[in-house]
Amino acid sequence: MPETVLQAENLSKIYKSGNKELVVLDEVSFSAEQGTSLSIIGPSGSGKTTLLGLCAGLDVPSSGTISLMGFKLNKMSEDDRAYVRNQFVGFVFQNFQLLSTLTALENVMIPMELRGEKNVEPKATELLDRVGLADRMHHYPSQLSGGEQQRVAMARAFINSPKILFADEPTGNLDEETADHVTNLLFSLNQEEKTTLVLVTHNLELAKKTERVLQMKGGKIIEEKYLKVVI
Amino acid sequence: MIEYVIKVKRKIKPIYSDPWVWKMAWRDARHNFSRLFLFVGSLITGIAAVVAIASLNYSLQADLDRNAKELLGADIVVGANRQFEPEVLAVLDSSKLEYASDAEMASMVMFMHNKQSRLVRVMGIDGPYPFYGEVETLPPNAYPEIFKGRNAILDETLASQYEVSSDDSIKIGNIYFKVAGVVQKIPGGGGVLSTFTPSVYIGMNELDSTGLIQFGSRISYKRFYKTETDAAAEEIGEKWRPTLRRYGHWYDTVQERKEELGNGFQSVYRFFTLLAFMALILGCIGVASSVHIYAREKRDEVAVLRCIGSSGWQAFNIFFIQVFVLGVLGSIIGAALGMGIQQLVPVLFSGSIPIELQFDLSWRAVYEGLFLGIVVSILFTALPLVAVRFVPPLTVLRADFNPGRIFSKTKWVVIGFIILFPILAAWYQTQSLIYGLTFSMGLAVALGCLSLVALALLVLVRKYFPKKSGFIFRHALSNLFRPNNQTQVLMVSIGLGAFIIATLNVIQYSLLDQVEFTGNENQSNTILFDIQPTQKDGVVDLIKTHNLPVNQVVPIITCRISELKGRPIDVYQKDTTDNIPNWALTREYRVTYRDSLHISEEMLEGELQHLKKGQRDSVWVSISEGMQESLDVKIGDSLVFDVQGVPIPAKISGVRKVEWPKDPPNFIFVFPTGVLEYAPQIWVAATRVDDQQDANRFTQELVTEFPNVSLIDLRLILSTVNELFGKIAMVVRFLAFFSIITGLVVLAAAVMNSKFVRIKENILLRTIGARTKQLTRITLIEYSYLGLFSALTGIILSLISGWFLAHFFFQVNFSINVVDMASIGIVVMALTVIIGWFNSREVINTPPLQVLRKEN
Repeated sequence: MPETVLQAENLSKIYKSGNKELVVLDEVSFSAEQGTSLSIIGPSGSGKTTLLGLCAGLDVPSSGTISLMGFKLNKMSEDDRAYVRNQFVGFVFQNFQLLSTLTALENVMIPMELRGEKNVEPKATELLDRVGLADRMHHYPSQLSGGEQQRVAMARAFINSPKILFADEPTGNLDEETADHVTNLLFSLNQEEKTTLVLVTHNLELAKKTERVLQMKGGKIIEEKYLKVVI
Repeated sequence: MIEYVIKVKRKIKPIYSDPWVWKMAWRDARHNFSRLFLFVGSLITGIAAVVAIASLNYSLQADLDRNAKELLGADIVVGANRQFEPEVLAVLDSSKLEYASDAEMASMVMFMHNKQSRLVRVMGIDGPYPFYGEVETLPPNAYPEIFKGRNAILDETLASQYEVSSDDSIKIGNIYFKVAGVVQKIPGGGGVLSTFTPSVYIGMNELDSTGLIQFGSRISYKRFYKTETDAAAEEIGEKWRPTLRRYGHWYDTVQERKEELGNGFQSVYRFFTLLAFMALILGCIGVASSVHIYAREKRDEVAVLRCIGSSGWQAFNIFFIQVFVLGVLGSIIGAALGMGIQQLVPVLFSGSIPIELQFDLSWRAVYEGLFLGIVVSILFTALPLVAVRFVPPLTVLRADFNPGRIFSKTKWVVIGFIILFPILAAWYQTQSLIYGLTFSMGLAVALGCLSLVALALLVLVRKYFPKKSGFIFRHALSNLFRPNNQTQVLMVSIGLGAFIIATLNVIQYSLLDQVEFTGNENQSNTILFDIQPTQKDGVVDLIKTHNLPVNQVVPIITCRISELKGRPIDVYQKDTTDNIPNWALTREYRVTYRDSLHISEEMLEGELQHLKKGQRDSVWVSISEGMQESLDVKIGDSLVFDVQGVPIPAKISGVRKVEWPKDPPNFIFVFPTGVLEYAPQIWVAATRVDDQQDANRFTQELVTEFPNVSLIDLRLILSTVNELFGKIAMVVRFLAFFSIITGLVVLAAAVMNSKFVRIKENILLRTIGARTKQLTRITLIEYSYLGLFSALTGIILSLISGWFLAHFFFQVNFSINVVDMASIGIVVMALTVIIGWFNSREVINTPPLQVLRKEN
């Protein structure tokens, strides 16, 4: 039986503004198993990015529990959650989130360097080669196109061989052709590395490429679909 | 049952053993290096100021120690304002020590080659003076000549002022002296003193022959002794003290003189340290403010780092290392700069210090500067960087996410240290906690006042925003209120420099204006004194012959107080419980008699001096306000004056307020008529001469006809005060300039910080049709506004503080020079515009497309 990587139980997120309470996420529960892929879709304000943030340990829920690789994130300190992210999590964001002062190679190396590992350059070089950026390694983000930046971000996401990869609208800022290229790269890397993929998107075409789709509305999962994935 | 982990066991690496944070610090800094360096630019100027001043102080102290004996020229000096009494001489002679002596008095000297005259200090020297150091003259062998007949040597300032050369002659009293040379350096003399009263040195035996020593002449006598050791000098001083004190004489040892001079320098040093320290604190505020913006800009990067696993401390350490390393570098550069500046200061100080100084480098000052710089780098960068620790990783998903207020223990600890820092630093420097606290309070008050004035100006500008002015003017003004513009910090730091310079100017002008009382019509500007009774009519006739007004002719009687409130003076001297200063009890008083108030006087309480005929205690004298406080007397209190050996009992009739500089001479005690008419007396006459040529002719005739009569030209004092202020002002302005430079460095940093916002604004303006010329004008006008407001901040506060200082400290009328104030404002504005424009060139000249590509 596949190992459960991510387990969310009755997750709620409530923001208080004066006397008013805004329920952004309402008693959401789901889990994700090792090597599977799922996408979270829904209209703006449905709570999908909030759910992603909670699952990745970027924020803490108002109530409910979230466990990632056996670590109960909602009970941990921010620095401990950062440690868990570094060990088991990879991220791909819509706006790439590369460090502008670092070269492509340096951006990719950071997660491994943070672990205190030495001699990480060969692995980073290899990954950049795999994403087709062998000749752009020493370029800064501002010298790269959007598609190239996103590929650097993917190389960075996979360098620490994450158990789970969170992707937030990974193609949202790219043109159609580049988006296809990046999507294919993302799924192939995911398969090769046997990583669990959690994807937040508006793009139904992209969502259909995952094994499972969670449809959200008003802070709740209103529908869950299992798809036959064809890449 | 599933088990969960809620606490991760991992090793937290401290900053020094975490190579990743150092690597990241370098990677991030290499693109921001010039900008980061500018942050510490203000630290460099602050440290440079502190090191220069401290180094100057230490080397000054070292030089004082080295040259201490030259300060006196002897081990112990005894002085008196009259000839030593036989009992005093018996005590002095009992020591059987070798001695030299001098007698000095104020007198007119006439330079025969140009027939000009001037009041000088005539010093008659006898014996092997000096025991330590040398009298350096030009030609080198001139000093011994004064003991070989009628030869004189003059202070260099006097010789150059009247273009006297060797072999010229001068007339002192009735006698002509040949000028044997010019004094370049004399132990115990020179310096500032010679600016006020330049000296002429002659042999003691020739002083008598001048005919200057007459009744009423003010002559002071000194004896210089050489002892075996310093301790012996102190011991002898202690032995002589009771006798000297009884007769109102004084003594001075090398140690005491060193302390006095040291204390004098210490006060000046403290003042300069305050200025330098303020420049440093301003720099720190500038650094903190810049780092705050820097940290805020790094928020996104930190969020990414947090997202991929960096701890809060690791993120903090990356940026802390950057600013700390640059802080250390800045401190080293600042210390080096400070040492360089210290070498320049002697040039500014030259002629103001009575001994020759070597101005060695003080390594102690350098180490202190480095330490201070490092402490400052840690404290003032840690505070704004603490926020980095709490950047939520969620920011990567939601840029506007705000986690709310987070309590940080580190932040409060740093704030605590920042508050303690100036107190501890001042405590260390002065070894006084009270001074440390006062210093910090003063610092806080000064900066607080500047901030308040700056804030008030900004609020006023906002409230009365010129909505109807042209677009360029409105836009430039509204740019000052751009977020992150640091306008208030800039106004405070640039304004501080303007404040110091303007305050100095206000005080200088107020003091000069006071001396320029003489500029008011009908007030005396020339005082003739030491007029013998037989010469009175002749002098008055001479004044009238020259068509000059005779404003005052008053008698002066010298006397002492022998009893106060029924107790003899020596009882007061022994009594340690009263607060009456010894000098007030033993000094020689010069009193006059009249039955009316002078124009410079006003009765504060009681009655005018008067005589109650036929009554016991019939003499009622009035006293000036200040001396009434010093002697602690009130109306009706009795005192006995010793007028040339004749006791005259009197009572205080009233207290007068005296405006001393107004129409001199003015007096502490005024007797009624009918008491002192037959006492030995001299006369003083006051007149007014407006034309310099008239003055020269009058002085020349006066010195020829009445050689013992001296003349004080108050206009000469005015120029002397000006000259002295010139010297002090140069040093103060030099330091104030540091503050302005600090402000300008902060300005440059602020311009760089807001570069991106400015570029975006310019793109928008260009897109809607603005031309480069218009953008340039907006930029120039914006910095003109900033310069104007900064200058106004400083000038407004300087007017307030100047008024307080003039009114309460110097007790003179507050007066300003509008042209000078406007000049200060214009210079500050010009500097601000130049620096602002220089750093904005890229913003103005960058083509929009290039910027848009960069932004994307």
